[in-house]
Amino acid sequence: MKILVNKKEYNLNIDPDMPLLWVLRDILYLTGTKYGCGIGVCKTCTVLIDGVPEQSCVVPVSYVENKEITTIEGLSADGNHPLQKAWFEKSVSQCGYCQPGFILQAAYLISKNPKPSLDDINRALSEHICRCGTYSKIREAILFATKE
Amino acid sequence: MDEKVFLSRRRFIFGTALTLTGVVSGFIFSDKALAELIILDEKEKVLGLTPSIWVEITKENKVVVTVARSEIGQGVRTTFAMIVAEELDADWNLVVAVNAEADSKYGNQATGGSTSVRNFWTTLRSAGAQARQLLINAASQIWGIPAENCYTSNSFVYERNGTRKLAYAELIDKAVQLPVPPANSVKLKSVSDFKILGKPQKNIDEPFFVTGKVTFGSDYRVEGMKYAVILRCPYIGGSLSSYDDTEAKKIKGVVGVYRLSEGIAVVADNSWLALKGRDALKVNWNRGPNANLTTDQIFDKFRSLVETFPNLSNETVKEIETIYEVPFLAHSTMEPMSAFANYKEGKCEIWAGTQNPQNARTTVASALGISENNVKVNVLHSGGGFGRRLNSDFVVIAAKIAKASGFPVLFFYTKADDIKNDYFRPASLHSIKAGINANGKPTGFFHRVISQGDVSYVNPHYSLPDVRNYTASHSFGVRTGPWRSVDYTQNIFVIESVIDELAHLAGKDPFQYRMDLTNDAKLKNVLRKVAENSKWGTELPKGWGRGISSFVGYGAYIAHVVEVSVSKEGFLKIQKIYAVVDPGFPVNPENIKNQIMGAGIDGLSTALNSEITIQNGQIQQSGFHNFRWLRIDEVPEFDIEILTTSDRPSGMGEVGFPSVTPALCNAIFDATGIRIRRLPIGKTPLLKVDEKENKSKDLEFNAYPNPFETKVTINIKTNDNKSSNLSVRIFDILGKLVFESKLSSDGTSYHTQLDFENLPSSVYYVVCEFNNQLHSFPILKKN
Repeated sequence: MKILVNKKEYNLNIDPDMPLLWVLRDILYLTGTKYGCGIGVCKTCTVLIDGVPEQSCVVPVSYVENKEITTIEGLSADGNHPLQKAWFEKSVSQCGYCQPGFILQAAYLISKNPKPSLDDINRALSEHICRCGTYSKIREAILFATKE
Repeated sequence: MDEKVFLSRRRFIFGTALTLTGVVSGFIFSDKALAELIILDEKEKVLGLTPSIWVEITKENKVVVTVARSEIGQGVRTTFAMIVAEELDADWNLVVAVNAEADSKYGNQATGGSTSVRNFWTTLRSAGAQARQLLINAASQIWGIPAENCYTSNSFVYERNGTRKLAYAELIDKAVQLPVPPANSVKLKSVSDFKILGKPQKNIDEPFFVTGKVTFGSDYRVEGMKYAVILRCPYIGGSLSSYDDTEAKKIKGVVGVYRLSEGIAVVADNSWLALKGRDALKVNWNRGPNANLTTDQIFDKFRSLVETFPNLSNETVKEIETIYEVPFLAHSTMEPMSAFANYKEGKCEIWAGTQNPQNARTTVASALGISENNVKVNVLHSGGGFGRRLNSDFVVIAAKIAKASGFPVLFFYTKADDIKNDYFRPASLHSIKAGINANGKPTGFFHRVISQGDVSYVNPHYSLPDVRNYTASHSFGVRTGPWRSVDYTQNIFVIESVIDELAHLAGKDPFQYRMDLTNDAKLKNVLRKVAENSKWGTELPKGWGRGISSFVGYGAYIAHVVEVSVSKEGFLKIQKIYAVVDPGFPVNPENIKNQIMGAGIDGLSTALNSEITIQNGQIQQSGFHNFRWLRIDEVPEFDIEILTTSDRPSGMGEVGFPSVTPALCNAIFDATGIRIRRLPIGKTPLLKVDEKENKSKDLEFNAYPNPFETKVTINIKTNDNKSSNLSVRIFDILGKLVFESKLSSDGTSYHTQLDFENLPSSVYYVVCEFNNQLHSFPILKKN
């Protein structure tokens, strides 16, 4: 089957039931998408499928045939997405493991709502877990990225 | 990023240290020490200058700092790089951090006890200063002027009173010919001259975190590698009886099933197939001696070990004698434990996120029966540590699987494996006796810590008379280990809660009471400032409360005020958290802020919801759904003040935890009059006494059973017989709607059965509106 990841096409001979997460990590070596819980609870493994955030641990690869997948590696050409820059500016990350999921979810949020309020941000990210507790910085960074 | 190019030139020396680029093959045991003065390429061309094992200056004018502690989110790579760069007068934008592999030449590499900055402060400063002096010496020889006439700035040596300057890289060829100035010959900067240290610096890894380029332990990949999971006995103290792997081995892509002392390992072409293979195993377990063990039994045993305390002094006019209980906790790192191992011809190479690479090296060598010299442990980023990765269990399992299978293999725990096979924060029971005299001053503080996991007592950090500590423990075979701030997690909760109890017993303000119990100027200072910042003593809205608490440890001082509100329904909201921390010298204020926020959320999350419990000899929790952590919409705003009071730094990774829980519980007491003596808070309904009394004049509520395990039947009787449906909503302790239910009417009574199977054990509030009145009834889902 053919899948399109970060504008690159891959021809894969794999079980269509394999979760997208493991296809990305173990077959394509795109390890920026992280394994957190494997059961769709923590949202660490979030990727964009046709621009919409989905948890790659509970999406079978067959579902994404002919769809466009964006992982953290493909969010911008050289790390210059406004959110990536804001994350750097605000020094958000601690261990950094959950941040790709947060960033992709936030990228979707600001694509739909370019000026999110604090409440909008809290609502949009309320299912993501950051075990290091970077939440305040994440809020700051999104507000910073969208202020003008 | 040019790091790729830069690092690839280092391949000759560092073997497989190419992890930023992702896919790497190779199994190279470099017998070259890292502490070489000269780094050469294949053509013997000088590539870099390495005046010590800590720092290298490259021909590209980069400064490479070797970090011999593990990055687990505490910011050590940035901090260590800052310390070297400061004394080296390096351009901060040209500084790169690389991780040291396990090697005794680096000293103790265990990342624990918030010791990294304190232990390496002088060593790393000296390394930077020596390198700087060496470069100055080189410039002075090139220019034929005295070294005193040279100075450094931003990775250049300048001629004083002249126009000449040379970049550090341009001095390498000369510098490699000169002796490294001894550490005792170089002068370290005075704090007032610092340009990098003490100023907020951005995380050196942030550009790589936000682009997915950081290689965590679970991200290591080589061509031809396999993936492995393990099936371990779910019974505490149980063992494997027999297994059948026929079906597992039939799965295409499963390459082997191996019996290890830890369990049954399944190796496959990818993670998913390994998991499928594991699911297909048929296993019989010996349930062992603890087959019926429950957490209740453990705490019953603790209670049986409580002994009568001696009498408090004669001047005691009031006293409290009480029990505090603190549960087991999992570390629940974001990245479950994992490690890559490759075993070939008696040598083993590891790539892992470990807090304890030297221990990993020793234990792998011992497990495989090979010499430590034949084990190479490379340290990768950890997706959280919190003490979990001080244990090397997962590294050893990876090494054993690599040896058994013959493949380079990435072994990983699933989230459920990770929680169930954790080394838990110990559970403890604290028996307390304390009293006050006629002036309200404490007359004594007796504390008995009873635990599974050998929790030590901690002396109160206030000046109290007649402090007596006792410990007792009993093991049920539950694995325990260090957890962020270790014994302080339980002890400070207890001590600061009891101080609060004494203040109330004495009728004194809890802030002033603490101030009067210490002569330590630094402790008084953080308490006073946090009281000021939080406007302690000013009126709060009805239903709100404030709690204060402090902690002294890791060379630092901290005080917290937590502000909460408890609604009529019993919903707790953490409104705001104030912290004032005195680190002595704040090495990286931005990182300190992150650590204080992070540890603060640890404190709040664990206090509210988190608990590891045991039923039928098995750990019950299996993921974030039943071992909860706060989410972004539940965390309060932080107000953090960082002081500078000396020239010496302290440990910042753990100091932010201990005083948060008691400050929160003291705030709940202030708001409701309910004293939390058992964690997590979610076990205690926070309905104020007065709310309870007048709640049910026209509504009679009954829940059966209560507490319940999964299902509960709700019966509500009303005083009139409107035949409409009654709508009830179920909320968690923070007032998040869990679900809604319509109750069907049967004249004046309504009833329904609710299923909580997929919800964590906790108090829930059943809220219904009747005759324009809100009624809230707590029900408890038990473990």
